[in-house]
Amino acid sequence: MRKFCALVAALGATLALPACAPSTSGGGGKVHLTVETWRPEDTAGYQKIFDAYEKKHPKVVVDYKPIKSTDYLTVLPNELKKATGGPDVVQLKPYGPLQSYIKAGNLVPLDGQVNVSGWQDKVLQAAKGKDDGKLYGVPYALQTLGILYNKKIFADQGIQPPKTWADFTAACDKLKKAGITPMATSGLQPWVLAIDHQIFGATREGGNDFEQAVLTGKKDFTDPDYTASLQTVADLKQYFPNQVTAVDYPDAQTLFTSGKAAMYPGGSYEIGPFTKTTPDLQIGWFDAPPAPGAKVNQPLTSGYVDGSFGVNAHSEHKSEALELVKWMATPEFGQLYASTLKQISTVPGTTPGDPLLTQAYQGYQQHGATYIMVVDFGYGNPLGRDQEGLALQKMLGGTSAADAGKLVQKGISAWFKPSGG
Amino acid sequence: MVQAQRRLRRPVGAGGGRPRRRVLLTFLLPALALYTVFIIYPLVSAAEYSLYSWSGNRQDGFAGLSNFHQLFTKYPLSEQVWRALGHNCLFFIGTMLIQTTLGLAFAVLLHKSRRGKRFLQTAYTLPHLVSPIVVGYLWSIMLNPQFGAINAALRDVGLGALAQPWRGDPHLALPVAIVVNAWQWVGFPMLLFGAALAGIPDEYEQAARVDGASSWQVFRRVTLPLLTPVLGIVTVLTFIGTFNVLDLIYALQGSQGNPGFATDTLGLLFYRTAFQNPDPNAIGQSCALAVCMFILIFGVSLAANKVFRRMEERLK
Repeated sequence: MRKFCALVAALGATLALPACAPSTSGGGGKVHLTVETWRPEDTAGYQKIFDAYEKKHPKVVVDYKPIKSTDYLTVLPNELKKATGGPDVVQLKPYGPLQSYIKAGNLVPLDGQVNVSGWQDKVLQAAKGKDDGKLYGVPYALQTLGILYNKKIFADQGIQPPKTWADFTAACDKLKKAGITPMATSGLQPWVLAIDHQIFGATREGGNDFEQAVLTGKKDFTDPDYTASLQTVADLKQYFPNQVTAVDYPDAQTLFTSGKAAMYPGGSYEIGPFTKTTPDLQIGWFDAPPAPGAKVNQPLTSGYVDGSFGVNAHSEHKSEALELVKWMATPEFGQLYASTLKQISTVPGTTPGDPLLTQAYQGYQQHGATYIMVVDFGYGNPLGRDQEGLALQKMLGGTSAADAGKLVQKGISAWFKPSGG
Repeated sequence: MVQAQRRLRRPVGAGGGRPRRRVLLTFLLPALALYTVFIIYPLVSAAEYSLYSWSGNRQDGFAGLSNFHQLFTKYPLSEQVWRALGHNCLFFIGTMLIQTTLGLAFAVLLHKSRRGKRFLQTAYTLPHLVSPIVVGYLWSIMLNPQFGAINAALRDVGLGALAQPWRGDPHLALPVAIVVNAWQWVGFPMLLFGAALAGIPDEYEQAARVDGASSWQVFRRVTLPLLTPVLGIVTVLTFIGTFNVLDLIYALQGSQGNPGFATDTLGLLFYRTAFQNPDPNAIGQSCALAVCMFILIFGVSLAANKVFRRMEERLK
């Protein structure tokens, strides 16, 4: 019997072991703050940024703890549920996907704690609760959408970044004739198609006026201007890679970085990785010219917030964690972040270190538009982005623009109620 | 055989006779503990979670069957559940037709062949050793329209017209996934059928031959009926496998079952509902789906088992 009890005890100990989480308070009276993110590739950059913070706060050590981006959202809810031993500061998805954490009470409200007085409302919206309007994170990066192009191919073919739609299609035709794929994109991934639509279709649907019209219920996604903007993208199929419906996201990236495709409709988030993997690649950036029949007669640079940093409600070092996110709203952090990680910081008054990003950011400041499917229609199931991508996939397979518009409307109206008017 | 069984029954406990219950328990306990922690507990907790409404990771009030109701009435779930179920059914049928038939054919051919049997058996079962995630990525590269080996090979032999957007055509995507899955698992039914074939005495075939039966008749009237028990096992295991399929499709077509949900399955839908769902009630909805899947798979497996048992009885 004694042996039996010993066995049970041993087994119990084995099972209980993983529950003993390491303490976050280290020796020497220093407070260890854990920052959890989905960016393992930025570890060195973040360490450099936090070194600057530690110098000014000698009693704090920031432990950067990245989790693979594909695992992050499956891990985070459990991390935030831990009564002790959880992270102190966490990277948060923007807009809709943030709301579940707010509703669950996982995050500390930051109103009155961090100084965001000079920030745009549009930027702060990414980290606010839809229901209570409180701020739960400090946004860190802005992403802009536009067209990346291979400068060498353009020079070889004698093509200038186009200013009008006619120039744009003429350039595409010329490239196609020369045996170069004009544009690399993925028809297999709905979210890539939705980005294509925002880039090429925003001027056609009417940009921010269309956004307001849908938000207030004056228009919906069966509107002829919107369906025509979907058609704008579908009509570009001839300039996309062969069998684009089977081209995956990494394939599209490879087509562009290997010089097989001349242009790549995408976001500012691609510039860093592209220049890193292919240092010889000379990348340029331009905004899509207004599409035929456009409601807005100038190019639009669409943008959205990438995410924010918030404080775990179960953090054992809440005041230190708050101090850290407070710092993340300062120009010091913003500038360090922008230049170290080659991003567009959301902190007002900062400039991106990279010339291409500077160009993209200026475009957004001068003639910006909202990436509505993420910013406004990313708060329910299905996400606007996914539903629009699905509709475009169907259009590439032959569905009419009117039916595609109905499909988008069906998805969005499943959870979205316009504000009246 | 009988002797061996008798030997097994010989004294294990100190006093002879049957081993004492406590000893038995001691041996069972580790496995039982692991089984409880990793199987029973998650099952029970999923069932419990499915009956509550959730705000993110916070459990709210008791919700009765409301999560199940949402699953079947709330767009887009209401549409996705049935579509995914349909795809699982097609996946099962396709796998039975391709994988099980080929597995049986390979087993019969290998059973008769004397040369290269070991090598071919190993070759056919080799893909088992690779994770479905790896198989999915591997095939997604081979099926790539731009750089992929398959379309390149077709073009090289003058069959360029057959080069298809394999993963991008909504009509081809699911059949392609079924074939890739069969490529990986065909060795499994082959081994089971092979073992069963080895257990059928040669005399049966010889007797049928003497009666004037052709090879096909021998197979159809003698061999195949004797394989019923194995066929039952293969069918049930294929059913369980294809209704739980997730990793291969995830690697091949992403979490959305591209293109346009053409390869969506219940497993993928569960993953999306649980982890990529902006609805605060994601845990409630996904657990309800998990419970439905469990009931379906468990129920059908039990029923199928019964049917095959009855068929076996008739054989005797």
